[in-house]
Amino acid sequence: MKLFASLKTKFVVWVWNRTPTCAEMSRLTSRALEQPLTIKTRLKMRLHFVICAWCRRYFKQINFLHETAPRLGLELGALPARGMSAEAKQRIMQRIRSGH
Amino acid sequence: MIVESNSVAVPMSESPTSSPAPAPSPRLSDPERWVDEHGDYLFKYALSRLRDPLKAEDAVQETFLAALKGGKSFQGRSAEKSWLVGILKNKICDYYRKAGRETSFTDMEFYKDEESDRFVQEGMFKDGWIHEAGPQEWDSPGASLDREVFWQTYRDCSNKLPKNVATVFTLREVDGVESKEICAMLNISENNLWVMLHRARMALRRCLETNWFAKQEGAK
Repeated sequence: MKLFASLKTKFVVWVWNRTPTCAEMSRLTSRALEQPLTIKTRLKMRLHFVICAWCRRYFKQINFLHETAPRLGLELGALPARGMSAEAKQRIMQRIRSGH
Repeated sequence: MIVESNSVAVPMSESPTSSPAPAPSPRLSDPERWVDEHGDYLFKYALSRLRDPLKAEDAVQETFLAALKGGKSFQGRSAEKSWLVGILKNKICDYYRKAGRETSFTDMEFYKDEESDRFVQEGMFKDGWIHEAGPQEWDSPGASLDREVFWQTYRDCSNKLPKNVATVFTLREVDGVESKEICAMLNISENNLWVMLHRARMALRRCLETNWFAKQEGAK
């Protein structure tokens, strides 16, 4: 058991020293949504995910936000509650009439 | 006016240009009824993006006037509302383009707000997540999508972002504009945009975790 634990620690440290830090991983997670990353970078990220549950979650959650955000604009309930003021409507109505 | 706006390559699934099938009988309701029928929706849409009632009113007015002039381009090919929303989107982009030329869109204050308190400060694991403060497991996030309160929380969180960062986030993530187009529109460098998006996503994730997902677990 002890041997296993020490091997595990060695592996984690080995990976940690060869992959981006978590702060850097969070930047790359966002960057990947804007442009394709190089294969080398993607492999390093994969390797980091093996030892880091937090970065795995971060990656999953940021992608979840990315996929769901478009609905933020569609859900009417997500839009502000107040409508246009009566004065503004009146003014626009007049502009439309004169624009005829 | 409308021609100029349409030249902008903004993906608009709702725009009339996206469905080329011609319809024989154009049906366009009386423009004077537009204000009553679509005014509030368009206003809310504009307000959620421009965050200023006066600017939102202006955008709606310009949309109606452009629609009036461009009525011929409406061939009954898409629902009237979607058609107006398409024009409004272009008006909003026009506004940002102008604003991007006049003011810097880089929000330096927000840049300082690194989530450094969530990362290990020094030692061998410097810049690694502090385990207790790092991202926690979200309990079946998909189930939240059907809950009205979830979207309310999402919107509240995005409203907490600094204005310019929120603008960038909405254009990119909500409206799905490509990053290169946003850079050209707002006159910012790609690197700048990446940093702003990174900060926006990080802050939103954190806000949603605190105000929604952590509470969901506690409610069980």
